Amino acid sequence: MSRIQGPVLLDIPSDPAALFLVRCVVERLAQRMAFGAEDVTQVTLAVDEACANTIRHAYKNRPGERIVLRFLIQEDRLEIHVRDFGESVDPRKIRPRELGEIRPGGLGTHFIRSAMDEVSYEAQEGGGTLLRLVKYRKNSGGGG
Amino acid sequence: MKVDVQEPRPRIYVVAPHGDVDMGSSPEVRKALAPLFRKGTVHVIVDLSHVPYMDSSGIATLIEGFQLSQKGAIRFTLAGMNPSVEAAFDLAHLKDVFEVVPVVEVALGEGGGA
Repeated sequence: MSRIQGPVLLDIPSDPAALFLVRCVVERLAQRMAFGAEDVTQVTLAVDEACANTIRHAYKNRPGERIVLRFLIQEDRLEIHVRDFGESVDPRKIRPRELGEIRPGGLGTHFIRSAMDEVSYEAQEGGGTLLRLVKYRKNSGGGG
Repeated sequence: MKVDVQEPRPRIYVVAPHGDVDMGSSPEVRKALAPLFRKGTVHVIVDLSHVPYMDSSGIATLIEGFQLSQKGAIRFTLAGMNPSVEAAFDLAHLKDVFEVVPVVEVALGEGGGA
């Protein structure tokens, strides 16, 4: 199947009601790239959690702000950039919580780190953060 | 989001959310679930068979339910988890924490198996 040339952009408001759109796009894109079912589920969850964290932390639940997702479809990987224009978050403070404790909250970052192969946060000049998420296709290196 | 609450037997409640449980809809699940953990309740079952997707806020809501059930010595069961929801529980290393059954009838003691 032919590969989409060039990045795909999705510009959504910082509204939880818009998250289903993100999930739809990620899920279909990952399926089309022939990721396995488990990877499709995990990548979808990770990107959804990244956007939810943006709404919660960068925008403090303010609706009507922008979240811009940029999907880069490569032969061996899917790369997703989540850009916000809100309060910059100190990357050192974004850490998954310990899982030994049974308590609500803090799971989102754990999901992102567990699901994606690469995760990096970068404060942007003029404000906001760029979160870069990468998932490699397992079979791109000759595996199953 | 629609969240059905039924009492199929006295003091046994079945809570059934319909649709994705995410950051936007999990407060509605919490609103339906939390009041059921009151004195006299014996068993709360969450029927997840109509939930195609659940994020960490949905899981956090169920953890809150679990904690309330522990406090009140109330049985708490999750039923009908689909593979996508199950994957999120696996990632959170939480599947062994909850009592999980394939369908509501099993939780009610009406189905075969455990």
